Amino acid sequence: MREAVVIVLAVIGLGFSLSGALGILRMPDVYSRIQCSSKTITMGALPVLIALVVGTGPVSSYGSRALLVAVLLLVVNPASSHALARAAYKAGVPMWQGAITDEVRGLADSGPGSGSGEPGRHAPPASGEPGGQSPPASGEPGGQAPP
Amino acid sequence: MANVYLAVAIAEIAITVLLFVRLAIGPTISDRIVALNTMSTQAALAVLFFSAFAGRTIYLDVSLWLASFSYLGAIIWSRYLERGLL
Repeated sequence: MREAVVIVLAVIGLGFSLSGALGILRMPDVYSRIQCSSKTITMGALPVLIALVVGTGPVSSYGSRALLVAVLLLVVNPASSHALARAAYKAGVPMWQGAITDEVRGLADSGPGSGSGEPGRHAPPASGEPGGQSPPASGEPGGQAPP
Repeated sequence: MANVYLAVAIAEIAITVLLFVRLAIGPTISDRIVALNTMSTQAALAVLFFSAFAGRTIYLDVSLWLASFSYLGAIIWSRYLERGLL
């Protein structure tokens, strides 16, 4: 009975992990890949860890470590994904060609840098200063993002 | 029950192969960092299940280390991406 519960939970978690990895492989954009890496991988990790807790008991050394890893993943994974998305936007990584809107563009501290040509390059250092900088010339809000 | 743990560990490593493809062909540095971060999460799970399979509690610390310090790697890489080397 307990083994059946473990197998079912592990299959659920592995399915979510597989779909997350496929999303990271197939998504067209770094931001979409960050979305897959954040939500789907965390959702895939949690049932697998719960399976280990069910299989070994919550007070055994394995089960307690599995609970600790689950709490760590819940706290740490969204924070690192947020930092990665923010850094990618500030470094000027272009969005997908079919992206409809860019809601962060007109804000004060959100310039992707003047040189957004080469992907993965650093923004010029002047664009990293918070405040005191006029927002870049924003097109119509909600318009098509220029390539 | 131990075979189930071993199967889960092998499946997590097999999922990681897909992320290796993204790590190899990723167009920007951010793609590679995303793939690497996800790979460390999967590796933490795989090590945890392997320790439950092998019955060795010493591997649990490896899993905890991977789950907690991959976060620091992502934070430091994103800081360098955002502001340059200085």
